[in-house]
Amino acid sequence: MASRAADWGWRGELPDASGQVAIAGVGESRHTPASGRTSVEIAIDAVGAALDDAGLSPRDVDGLMWSGGLPGQLDEPAFRQHFGARGFDGPLWTSSQGGGMVWAGTAPALAAQALAAGDARVIVNVFSIAWATQRQAGEGSPGDAHSSEHFKANLELPFGWFPQPVYFATIARRHMHEYGTTSAQLGSIAVSCRRHANLHEGAVMRDKPLTLADYLDRPMLVDPLRMEDCCLISDGGAAYVMTSPEHARDLRKPPVHVAGVAEGHSGSGVFWSQQGDFTATPQVFSAPAAFEMAGITPADVDVLTLYDPFTIVALMQIEDMGFCKKGEGGAFVEGTRLHHDGGGLPYNTHGGLLSHAYVLGISHVVEVVRQLRGEACAQVPDAQIGVYGGYTGHMASTLVLRRGTR
Amino acid sequence: MPDLSFEPTRGFWDAAARRELAVPRCSACDRYVWYPQPRCPGCGGSEMAWTVVSGRGTLFSWALVERALYKPFKERAPYVTGLVALEEDPVVRIVTNIVDCDPADLHMDMPVTVVFRELSLAGEEAGVVAPYFRPVSASVPGFEPQPQPQPKPGATTGEEPSR
Repeated sequence: MASRAADWGWRGELPDASGQVAIAGVGESRHTPASGRTSVEIAIDAVGAALDDAGLSPRDVDGLMWSGGLPGQLDEPAFRQHFGARGFDGPLWTSSQGGGMVWAGTAPALAAQALAAGDARVIVNVFSIAWATQRQAGEGSPGDAHSSEHFKANLELPFGWFPQPVYFATIARRHMHEYGTTSAQLGSIAVSCRRHANLHEGAVMRDKPLTLADYLDRPMLVDPLRMEDCCLISDGGAAYVMTSPEHARDLRKPPVHVAGVAEGHSGSGVFWSQQGDFTATPQVFSAPAAFEMAGITPADVDVLTLYDPFTIVALMQIEDMGFCKKGEGGAFVEGTRLHHDGGGLPYNTHGGLLSHAYVLGISHVVEVVRQLRGEACAQVPDAQIGVYGGYTGHMASTLVLRRGTR
Repeated sequence: MPDLSFEPTRGFWDAAARRELAVPRCSACDRYVWYPQPRCPGCGGSEMAWTVVSGRGTLFSWALVERALYKPFKERAPYVTGLVALEEDPVVRIVTNIVDCDPADLHMDMPVTVVFRELSLAGEEAGVVAPYFRPVSASVPGFEPQPQPQPKPGATTGEEPSR
């Protein structure tokens, strides 16, 4: 069709991280409705938990990564202020190209360079958010970055094409038209996530079951999406600790190794309305490169977590990463295929952004690590290879992790 | 409300005020460049001219907002917002509202045509005219199509974006 161009995006350049980084510790804060806490306070909990998990102390840290594009992150000054009072006074290699979203997937590539260069030995990647608290206080929301963008403010907002649920409802309807995707198929993704959250002690939606019949009975929010197709808003944070595979061997937990990392870009940037292939994600440009770096195919993946602000975003990424043919994602996600014990493609086994917590992807990486260690709540038997797919609209990332050996 | 002083999109709103739909076009290769940008993604040309288009297109996709999360539209819901692919080049998608039509009658790729109305946000009319679209076949009682001034397709508006 006329609107579909093969050149609507490209693969980003990232250093080869394969076999050079281990994730030695993971940790999370509590994930809650409005907590009244700041995102920095939340991040400190997550970093403490991740270091404990690795058997390390704050004094062992000499590298820090966070998301520079979002306010309130645990950046170098915040880290020094808090951990300085607890004995930390060393040099710190830093990068603001870490944290959550796509960067939860690409941080290991930059960490690999720093580890290889001897700039750092123990690197913490951390992300946190207090949007539930902020929303209650009327101070900011996930839509702010979009409403303050001049082209959106002048060409989209005057027509009420805002915020994110509107973008993705429009994309979902086109996907339904082109490929026959149904509401029930989108619902199947939401129900699979909820089932996993019901098994996860830290999930915001732990005590709230959701059946497909429930889903179909719920009203439309932005037709064709229901509230159940949309991510939560919650307070929370998570962190993971990276080091060399050699160092990781001596630490407390079984190491998990980075096997592949890649990123993809959309040529239309954050302007979804103009994306060349309207019903695709830049995973098209990212996943094949990460899989090649890791020497795997989609069939080798034991557990998959995807940045899932909306069910349709998960569906498109499943297609674009090659787990099924483009357009066949709807049929692919039906039934129990995405369940942790369904024998298919265990997906967002912690509940994802839809049902675990809205912590923008970093808990997705934490969950993959726990799966590969065999300590997840909804454990996939003998998981060896796990993948995180990150997404921010104008970018996607793919992180392939493999169970390590001592 | 759009910021009418924001130079890159000013030609769009100036044209709407004249009840015309205009899109920047590369003077070197004739490609329509949307959203406005300083260089043509086709040929790299840097001269763009706001060019009046027919106002005809097809409904590329839409969302029916049952509950508006965007405050200025709270009272407007339910409303239809979506993308119209232009007849001149369907790669150009205009964000708009579909009006004068029962949402249940909308279907993908249906022909639509531009209609100009005063922009109204949060119940206030601001004296800004915006391009909306309605189905070509719209015959909803009470929504009789109003005669629209016929733009001259392909005519430039005489304005050069200053970017």
